[in-house]
Amino acid sequence: MPKSKAILIDITKCIGCLSCEAACKQLHGFSQDPEPKLSPTAFTIVEEHGDRYVRRMCMNCQDPACASACLVGALKKTELGPVTYESSKCIGCRYCLVACPFNVPRYQWSKLAPFVTKCDMCYARQAKGQSPACVEACPVQASIVGWRDEILEEAQRRILSDTKYEKHIYGSEEVGGTSVFYISDVPFEKLGFTKVESQPMPVLTANALGDIPTVVTVGGGLLAGLYWITNRRKLVALAEAAESARSGKGKDPHHD
Amino acid sequence: MTNFRLPKLTFWRTVVAVIFLAGAYAAYARFALGFQQSTNLADSQPWGLWVGLGTLCGVGISAGGFAIAAAVYLLGFERYRPVVRAAVLLSFLGYLTVIVGMMYELGLPWRIWHPIVMWNRRSVLFEVSWCVMLYTTVLSLEFSPSLVEKIPWVRLRELYLKWHHHLLIALVLIGAILSSLHQSFLGGLYLLAKGKVDPLWYSSYLPTLFYLSAVPAGLAATIMAVYLCNRSLHARVDPRVLAELSQIIAPMLYVYALLRGIDLVTHGGAGYLFKWREESLLFWFEIAMFVIAPVLLLSQSKVRNNPNALYGTCALVVMGFMANRLNVSITAFQASSGFYYIPKWTEFALSMATVTAAGVAFHYAVIYLEILPRSVPAKNWMTRHPATA
Repeated sequence: MPKSKAILIDITKCIGCLSCEAACKQLHGFSQDPEPKLSPTAFTIVEEHGDRYVRRMCMNCQDPACASACLVGALKKTELGPVTYESSKCIGCRYCLVACPFNVPRYQWSKLAPFVTKCDMCYARQAKGQSPACVEACPVQASIVGWRDEILEEAQRRILSDTKYEKHIYGSEEVGGTSVFYISDVPFEKLGFTKVESQPMPVLTANALGDIPTVVTVGGGLLAGLYWITNRRKLVALAEAAESARSGKGKDPHHD
Repeated sequence: MTNFRLPKLTFWRTVVAVIFLAGAYAAYARFALGFQQSTNLADSQPWGLWVGLGTLCGVGISAGGFAIAAAVYLLGFERYRPVVRAAVLLSFLGYLTVIVGMMYELGLPWRIWHPIVMWNRRSVLFEVSWCVMLYTTVLSLEFSPSLVEKIPWVRLRELYLKWHHHLLIALVLIGAILSSLHQSFLGGLYLLAKGKVDPLWYSSYLPTLFYLSAVPAGLAATIMAVYLCNRSLHARVDPRVLAELSQIIAPMLYVYALLRGIDLVTHGGAGYLFKWREESLLFWFEIAMFVIAPVLLLSQSKVRNNPNALYGTCALVVMGFMANRLNVSITAFQASSGFYYIPKWTEFALSMATVTAAGVAFHYAVIYLEILPRSVPAKNWMTRHPATA
């Protein structure tokens, strides 16, 4: 990936004003009522954990489980960083919901033509050079956006310069890296962050898929070989039967 | 039309009618009211009964067709020839139920053709969808002679059957490979959900375990179907053929249990075996039904050679297999999602109606086509005779 964008969320700075939620809902034309959890009408929400506020959104993974799961390729990792959803391809199988290690995608269960919904880091805005709506709305810069390598450096600089920070950037190693990073002064597991694999999730299925050529060639060859043997036996038995019938000695054709 | 009579009202017909009525309402609920009114699915349980029972069990139990066809046509086990057509028909109908199930399981079923033109080779589900499409085609071709041989136009019939005979070996071989691939990839789907699937069921060998469990379940289902045809449809299949077929099941279950045991120990799932929690109880329920009881029962010739006992044992295998698939797709997700999913009655109703339709189709196919050797000739459906089933 040449140059991609990423968001850094600094939990120590968030004041829980919900401006990000409101900006997101406004951009997508959703009703402004705050919601407690991600939903088809809430692509980002702010959770309260004690006196800390944690903003949730799609992590826009570097090698996303959802994009590898999607059988029609509706979900894609773009070069710019966001993981986008092409609704015109989706068939509604919901494997992306099963696959996502962060449980982010939501389904429009109440609709008769339901689609998958999730944050795409404002791909359309970012493609035009604008910031994601949530980042732009943040009055205290608890969320910032930038080139991924620079954002990662900034996160590194912050956690090293101040002892209050946990010495881990959530998202730097998780599932092989994401495009949304969190830094915090409270251990991540106390803030409801899931412990996930450090390898990219698609690695888990790549091995199984890699076995296809072996199954087809070895399995097919084996079965074809076995068929050749059975068929040959049958032919030999027939020929022997014919032979003994011709010699007319009434010999048992199954003498072996 | 002077022969027309209203069908007699029998117990089983009443049951089937009630199931179809309930299914019709459930279909209305699904398509006119949506998922929310017709299912208890949620974002934390996006795949429920329709995937767990309809797809995973539907495909798995239909594994008998490829296994028996390969045994007869490729490996020369001629003694299973009397049941090969029944096995292929059972599989064919099984896959049709899976495809019909897709029509209400998918959120946007009118786009079911999308995977044909929109490809993602990294997706296990993409491979499954292609295998199911191709294998259902193979099954329809394998089954087709049963229909074609009833065509009254002799030359067309003979031409088709001649070509079919030439292609049959290739079809069976392709079918065996396609089946091996997607039977295992259905388990492969869950590889991606590492961390969400309970350690008692998660394994990097899920594909192999799904394959190894589908074949005995498919054989058991075939034995059950043939037994029922023997009992109530005048089929005359030698019970010894079924007994012999059942002898393959136990060794397969041994291998399955061995791999699963080794895997549980090496993957660390074994630590959960004896914890007092619902998942562990359901695990033992599954293992008892699918492995322990059938292995013990099938080891006795008394059981194998008594058709009723054999039928009961095969029913255990099939139910144990279903318990496994439902555990993988539902039970194994409960702890991580914190969501307790119990299917809505409409989910059961639609699944039941689909399976019942396949059962009814099997019943009439056995009566009207040459599926199994029978003591009464097949009904001639080309001339008008009142059906008295």
